[in-house]
Amino acid sequence: MSCVIITDSLTKQYGKKTAVNNVDLKVPDKSIYGFLGPNGAGKSTTLKLLLGLIKPTKGHIEILGRKVNQKNRLAILSKTGSLIESPAYYGHLSGKENLRIICTLKDIPFREIDNVLKIVRMTQQQDKKVSQYSLGMKQRLGLAAALLGNPKLLLLDEPTNGLDPAGIQEIRELICSLPEQYGMTVVVSSHLLREIEQMATHVGIIDKGQLIFQDSLASLHEHSRSRIILHTDNNPAALKVLKQAKIPARQKEGALILDVHQDSSIVKVIAACVHADIGVFRVYERQMSLEDIFLHLTGKQVSL
Amino acid sequence: MNSSMIRELAAEQKKVRGKKVWLVPLGFFSFEAVWALWLLSNVSAEERMTGYLMFFYHLPVINTIIFPVMVSVIASRLCDMEIKGDTLKLLYTFQQPSAFFDCKYISGVKYLLCFTIGHGILIISSGKIFRFGDPLKIPMLLTYLAVTLCTGMVLLTLQQTLSLMSNSQIMPLATGLAGSFLGLFSLFFPAPLARLVIWGYFAAFPCVKMDWDRTTRITKFYEVPFPLSGFLAFTAAGILIFILCRIIAVRKEV
Repeated sequence: MSCVIITDSLTKQYGKKTAVNNVDLKVPDKSIYGFLGPNGAGKSTTLKLLLGLIKPTKGHIEILGRKVNQKNRLAILSKTGSLIESPAYYGHLSGKENLRIICTLKDIPFREIDNVLKIVRMTQQQDKKVSQYSLGMKQRLGLAAALLGNPKLLLLDEPTNGLDPAGIQEIRELICSLPEQYGMTVVVSSHLLREIEQMATHVGIIDKGQLIFQDSLASLHEHSRSRIILHTDNNPAALKVLKQAKIPARQKEGALILDVHQDSSIVKVIAACVHADIGVFRVYERQMSLEDIFLHLTGKQVSL
Repeated sequence: MNSSMIRELAAEQKKVRGKKVWLVPLGFFSFEAVWALWLLSNVSAEERMTGYLMFFYHLPVINTIIFPVMVSVIASRLCDMEIKGDTLKLLYTFQQPSAFFDCKYISGVKYLLCFTIGHGILIISSGKIFRFGDPLKIPMLLTYLAVTLCTGMVLLTLQQTLSLMSNSQIMPLATGLAGSFLGLFSLFFPAPLARLVIWGYFAAFPCVKMDWDRTTRITKFYEVPFPLSGFLAFTAAGILIFILCRIIAVRKEV
């Protein structure tokens, strides 16, 4: 599968702090690439680097098959749309007037405005001043601006911020429809795992500036090894016994999680508990959720 | 001027729709016009015999007071919408930051140019209405307008950079106000020190000087050669300031 974005050792340092550290992104064509990471992980910085808004300390960027440099940056970006952090707008102008400015700068006919306004369902509010818009409406306007010119690549940084649940669902459906309907590739960043899970075909997980996982969503699910959960009448004592028997285990939420998978090992666990006079209530297998995987990869609790 | 520059200037024009930026130079011009009328209605017929010379002496001093404030307000009106709307991160994806800086600057210069042309009209029409005795020397008028516009453009460079670099417009506006006072005081500074104050350059290249006789209490205005080399040096410094300011503004990460 060809990639529309390829980065090689992309690094951005601010003084001694490394915001993005040797990131090798590979975004497949016509995919929805979920760029996931906790707040401050380096998602926005990476997207800004891709757009040339900040200069990398090290590394290369290739977008739509061309290596990006200062000379060809705008030519390459003319085929992209972006919404970075908060939406950009002129508050004293109407939504339509804002889009007209972008059309003028991008040399796009004004007739496209009606189309993108229809896509983001803002036709009714197009003549209202943007300063009177809610955050959700501004976000939709930002998305409409990004869609102008039918870009091949869309970079969206937390696009559902400030939207109500119905709005989030609408934007999600819209993003999901873009690759199929318009042949776009979408990179969407979020700190919300569930959001990415519902939209993305591919996932990149960034933490402390480092890309710690990158593959298809299906592959991420494959990472979800099952765990054995053990409920006893005395978990601390059981944990002690298991440690003595050299069986890897940890206590969590009133149960013991065992890092064993073989039947013989489970027999050994139960036998050790029974010999120590610990009552075993339940033993069952549980698949790791995406949240568990994320926690396992980043060591941080993720928002849901 | 290439097609992308024309597009970018057209976009700048669209941005200021409803901002009423025109009111700023118009307001300051009205103030100057009222001041001129008041001044001329209080001078004797004898003094009106050198009316143009008097104008060319007094107007640069008035410009030193009002121009820095006006330029700071214009720059602030033009740049604040970009800062408030956080638009740079969007604009820089389809516009070079340097082109953005240039277009914003041209947009501001347009107002200064109109204000300066208004000055020319004010001088000519005042001469006609109040029947000045001395002839209007066109080279002197053009020189005065060139000094006014050039100094205003250098100030605009500084104010635009400050407005684009600041998250709040209080600091750029305060700089304009402080510059106005500093410029006026610099007229009384020793020459080497006065040369360091950009805001005072409106009156730094005089074509006319004044002689006031303490005993007779008679004021005489007389023509002096225009300090062309000094003005050219200032223009060169202005271009250098523009280049430096543009580098600073372009380097700002958004």
